[in-house]
Amino acid sequence: MGSANVKLSRRQVLGIAAGGVVGAAGFRYLTLKLPGGSQPVASAAGPAGAWASPLSSARGLAAHLLRRATFGYTPAELDAAAAMSYPDLVEMVVNQAAQPLPSVTNPTNHQAVVSAWYAHMATTPAQFPERMTLFWHGLLTSDYRKAARLPFVLQQNELYRSTGRSDLRTLINAVTYDPLMIRYLDLEESTAASPNENYSRELMELFTLGVGNYTETDVREGARAFSGIRTILVDASGRRMQPPKLKGSTPAAYAQTVEQLLAQGATFKGVLARTQHDNGSKTFLGHTGNLDPAQAFDIILSQPSFAPHIARSALVQFCTPNPSTSLINTVATAFRTSNFDIKTLMRSIFTSEAFTSPDAYRSLVRGPADYMVATMRALSRPDLAATCVQSGAGMDQILYDMPTVAGWPSNQGWVSSGAWLARLNFANRVVATQGSFPDPVDAIHVQVDGVVGPDTAAVFNASQSDGDRWYALLASPEFQLK
Amino acid sequence: MISRRDFMVSGITATGVGITVPPVFAKSVFAATMEDVHNDRVLVILQLGGGNDGLNTVIPYADPAYLQARPTIGIPAAKILPLNAQIGLNPVMPGMKKLFDAGEVALVQGVGYPNPVYSHFEGLYIWEHADPTMQQNEGWLGKLLAGQLNAQGHALTGCALGQASTPAELLAQNATVSVIDSIPTYQVQGGAGRRVGAPALYKRTPGIYGALYDQALTTAEYGIAALADSQSRYTPSVTYTPQSTVYGSKNSLATSLQLTAEMIVTQPSVKICHVVLGGFDTHQDEDTRQNALLAYVDSAVSAFMQDIANHGMADRVVLMTWSEFGRRVAENGGKGTDHGAAAPIFVVGKPVKGGVFGEQPSLTSTVDSGNLQYNVDFRSVYQTLIRDWLQADPTSVLGASFPELPIIRTA
Repeated sequence: MGSANVKLSRRQVLGIAAGGVVGAAGFRYLTLKLPGGSQPVASAAGPAGAWASPLSSARGLAAHLLRRATFGYTPAELDAAAAMSYPDLVEMVVNQAAQPLPSVTNPTNHQAVVSAWYAHMATTPAQFPERMTLFWHGLLTSDYRKAARLPFVLQQNELYRSTGRSDLRTLINAVTYDPLMIRYLDLEESTAASPNENYSRELMELFTLGVGNYTETDVREGARAFSGIRTILVDASGRRMQPPKLKGSTPAAYAQTVEQLLAQGATFKGVLARTQHDNGSKTFLGHTGNLDPAQAFDIILSQPSFAPHIARSALVQFCTPNPSTSLINTVATAFRTSNFDIKTLMRSIFTSEAFTSPDAYRSLVRGPADYMVATMRALSRPDLAATCVQSGAGMDQILYDMPTVAGWPSNQGWVSSGAWLARLNFANRVVATQGSFPDPVDAIHVQVDGVVGPDTAAVFNASQSDGDRWYALLASPEFQLK
Repeated sequence: MISRRDFMVSGITATGVGITVPPVFAKSVFAATMEDVHNDRVLVILQLGGGNDGLNTVIPYADPAYLQARPTIGIPAAKILPLNAQIGLNPVMPGMKKLFDAGEVALVQGVGYPNPVYSHFEGLYIWEHADPTMQQNEGWLGKLLAGQLNAQGHALTGCALGQASTPAELLAQNATVSVIDSIPTYQVQGGAGRRVGAPALYKRTPGIYGALYDQALTTAEYGIAALADSQSRYTPSVTYTPQSTVYGSKNSLATSLQLTAEMIVTQPSVKICHVVLGGFDTHQDEDTRQNALLAYVDSAVSAFMQDIANHGMADRVVLMTWSEFGRRVAENGGKGTDHGAAAPIFVVGKPVKGGVFGEQPSLTSTVDSGNLQYNVDFRSVYQTLIRDWLQADPTSVLGASFPELPIIRTA
């Protein structure tokens, strides 16, 4: 180890430096030559200058798309993607069919489910469906806490995987009857006599319209329209069953009973209990009638703020931290025109100029789950799934336990002194548990396009082992960005 | 091997279009000494996330309208810990009652702002930015740190403790904030090489996040160095009882407050500490859930205050609670309450002039169909703490002046 062939060598340096200068003293940095070779161009600058964007090359653009639409890639996956035309690659990605989550031994244990999901995110070739599952989990949020010893986390995870790339009318309808959501936002207790406002408010404020696009009266009237939704248990033939009672049982015995019922084909599902539903006339977002949930969704989807709200939420996660109004409107129009088709939404983002322009390069911060899964994929280490489950808290992302119903921070919101130490320490743990390492110079090219800043180059070159070189890569700012 | 002579330099600065630079820019970060620190007074902010129900925290037990509005979750007068003939504390708060009786709690009633909002995120924004019009984009404590208390950029003057992200209250351009989940994890793991190498990766990152990265990692470096021997200089004098299973709370408040005590006792430059306990969004089963949360607040705050006093620092520390809103007067059908408006807040500490301030809002003459009308603007509390406790200028933070409350003792 430590020989010249694991340094970033002079021969590999293209030497294009689109370096910025701040004040009197300029910072220098380098880019490495990209295979396939068009010239890097400067992208958006900060105080230390701009990254040199490789997005004008096919390989650079393919890597950029895969870092955002998926959780990163192996060298072979990048090679395959770079060989395709960009439009073909986008089509291939958005049309990927989901692979089901492998069977979870304890489906009532949310940590077991999350661990299985991390492993699946790391291994499935159907990456885009998993990335969309995470996206919807962060937007249409629920946590596990009111559903202990029930299989509801698994069920919602499967729902977002199966339905998260259909159309949003179908998805929102399904989410409203999803047992975890029913618990999380208190639909279960909502009755005609006393409708609970929680779901009605967050559905409009966070999930669909955005604040300012409904009134407090709409919240109250919406609560009436969503009253009476209940979770029931049905057997394999669809007949309603009495759910087991926790009272008089131990938590472990209860979980075991539930798992036995599931093994026999029983499922939990949400239904509208007509006797609990408010059948009176409601006036919701300007429409009056005896509105039920499906009619209320149609009204929400007809609001002019709906498509831009979804477009903005997706753009911030997939395209740019500060989408312009015109970009939001362009994407929203495509989304609305397609009758809220989610693939159309994502295709319009991935093919937008804002996505492929030099300014887009490294303009997003990988979230913690994204960072950890990308690490597992870079080193083919799905065995780290349990480590990911433990490590998320320090980076401020525990799957199925978001801080609030508004979900997690994004981009710059992830950056804090403590959260970054947690990321560095995750990289250390990964490297410390790795046997032998793939070539680290290759990894610099594959994982971060060979575009590295002066600090990363210096730390990498000063490293004495492949483990230290991989640490420099995984802990680097380059690898944290996308 | 790349050497410096291999670098080619171009003087071009590319300007991004449609991308704005993050709101925090790099600045020099100072070691954690007392140099140029304003004074030794500390303000601890305890955020009760989710909208704490004020009416079941400080209970107007003499008003028959209370139990009428809350037939199932109302707390009967016989159980309440009375503060006077009208109001009393939830029975799970004996520690706060003891502090109140000792004259160390200013209970400010009816705190809110005009035209209340009922959204968590608007409510949070308003309290975090001290601005009911939601025009400000910097947190009030961030502005206070950057402009006055910590213009030097000491690493440990502003701290978010027991959490992993920077609270919006502390976010401002040039505000240096240490975000410390726990001291044992606030380290660069992996040996001496990593301790040098890891922060070195983040000094001159190109692109729009470069300054933010530099700030975060430099703050971490100084903080780690300052905290290296803190555990040998602090031993808790009381028993903190951490609980991670209080329903929906997501934070271990006792652990966060023990860490706060450690920071205050060992780090002379600490001035603002932020801790949070979530789970107060009690649309359902409020009777059991809020009681569990308030009991936890009560035991953790009591332990913290005692610990601070035992370390001889009682004269240095004031703690303030806040929540984005109170809750609806009437209970809903699920033994819970929906989002509401005005609520009481607690200001606690030996420097506090104890008593009840402000008025209990009417339970029957309400705003927006059943919500409490405020009578103390929350910015009055902020202003009082900025001027009378931290001895800084509130106008540059709040943009206007508000009536102050006589809740801080004058020496």
